[in-house]
Amino acid sequence: MTAGAVLPAGPDAPALRPESRLSGRFVSRARLVGRSMYWLAWLIGSGGGRVGSGVQREIETLGIGALRLVGAASVLVGLIATFQIAYQLSAYSAQSMSGQAIGWFGARELGPLVVAILVIARSASRIAGEFASMSVNAEIDALRAMGLDPIKYLVAPKLAALLLALPALTILSDGLILLGGWVGNTMFLGFTTGFYLEQLRVSFTIRDLIVGLVKAVAFALLIGLVAADEGLNVERRVSAISEAATRTVVACLIAVLAFDTLMNAIFYFIPSFL
Amino acid sequence: MALPAPEAVRRNTGWMAGIPVLEVRHLTGPADAPVIHDVNLKLDAGKTHVVLGLIHSGKSMLMRLLLGLERAESGTVVVEGRSYEATGETETVTRDMRRRIGVVFEGSALLARISIIENVELPLLEHRHTNAKDARDAAQELLLMVGMNVAEDTTPLQVGRAEQRRVALARALALDPGILIMDEPSHGLDPHAAAELDDTVKRLQQERGFGVMIASHEARYAFRGAHEISVMAGGRIVEQGTRDELQASSHEVVRQLLNRRGSR
Repeated sequence: MTAGAVLPAGPDAPALRPESRLSGRFVSRARLVGRSMYWLAWLIGSGGGRVGSGVQREIETLGIGALRLVGAASVLVGLIATFQIAYQLSAYSAQSMSGQAIGWFGARELGPLVVAILVIARSASRIAGEFASMSVNAEIDALRAMGLDPIKYLVAPKLAALLLALPALTILSDGLILLGGWVGNTMFLGFTTGFYLEQLRVSFTIRDLIVGLVKAVAFALLIGLVAADEGLNVERRVSAISEAATRTVVACLIAVLAFDTLMNAIFYFIPSFL
Repeated sequence: MALPAPEAVRRNTGWMAGIPVLEVRHLTGPADAPVIHDVNLKLDAGKTHVVLGLIHSGKSMLMRLLLGLERAESGTVVVEGRSYEATGETETVTRDMRRRIGVVFEGSALLARISIIENVELPLLEHRHTNAKDARDAAQELLLMVGMNVAEDTTPLQVGRAEQRRVALARALALDPGILIMDEPSHGLDPHAAAELDDTVKRLQQERGFGVMIASHEARYAFRGAHEISVMAGGRIVEQGTRDELQASSHEVVRQLLNRRGSR
């Protein structure tokens, strides 16, 4: 095989039928989801041995490595949200309610969404690029030829790490958004710390935190599965690596935002649902 | 842990001598868009079968099909007497079959993010369920067997291509397979390193008795101890036989391959 060439193409190779390509991709996606869930359950149940130590490495990369970015961005988002909410409420002379709005909106929406978007920007493209690079270099084929399931050794550890890292980062982000809100309320809007905390106490409930964490878990699965799908299904040419990384960012953003929209619609139309 | 006595040696010194360890029957594929058409070939225990062909003749796809990495349109693969329908889903190709075939991919295909020793350990941990220490000892022994002595944390990217190929050979032989498949084994190697690799494979083949199938565009493999040679063109086998039979062939592709400058 010649590196860089689309492999393999005989001189009289007929083109792949479009319907065959479409159904094949659907089947491979369904299989990816099924096997990922299977190996994830195995990993949780057994500890995973060598695979388990891979999870630790991934948590360091995907979770701990993102602390600084998530921390800084969350404080800034808290400040931005405070200014924006206060500005909108000023028309009704209700800036004093900005603390309440931050408390409710931060945990339910801003925290999980900020973390998901930052993880997509920082890690999803990296995951897809890593898998695509391994596909191009025949490392995935080598695993399969040895009878080793790439989903078990490559995808499951990353999914497990994302499932631990995103909720943890979301809790951190929630706290730092509230910190940004405190800075905005006390330093720029002129409210006291006691008043801000009282506003939070009135609005913030554990239910908001749980809704945010449920979203974080769903986002982690979406990001991991989309990145794996894009990274593992590439043609064997070098440019496929960057293409997979780009496609992953776009697909992950759309998947996460679409899921969040759906959740918001459910909460709006069925208020008793959480 | 000492490496287990090679099963292949026992096989070749006993009742299985002369029996094909690998047979490919009427293989056509891949199923979506066939580029390989009705290929038949076999590999006897302890022998070497070279599949020669120009670039894009279908050699690599043939290897992928018989390894079950692609789904075939039709055909059967027989590994050590057990046959597998090549038309099944690629993921259902049994682990048993895959553990009986060791593969050295073109470019080595080592996992770049883990150490060399971990690369060799992987199949042992997965298939033999050995503990971590035994797997590590066995991996080091396998690496010494192919002439490699590396620190535990050395990664594939820290060694040269020739060393990478040796590591890939050690990994391919970790489960003591009856068949070793090598796709363009000398790709990217200088002639000296390529010759050294050939010598190592020959030595290990004599010691352990596995059959070797080599896919290459280099005719020199046909002149270095190949017991049988298949020449591929356009996804078909256009000529098959011993070196002497091929030299007598008037087929255009055969003449083209054998007469390449420096091919011997």
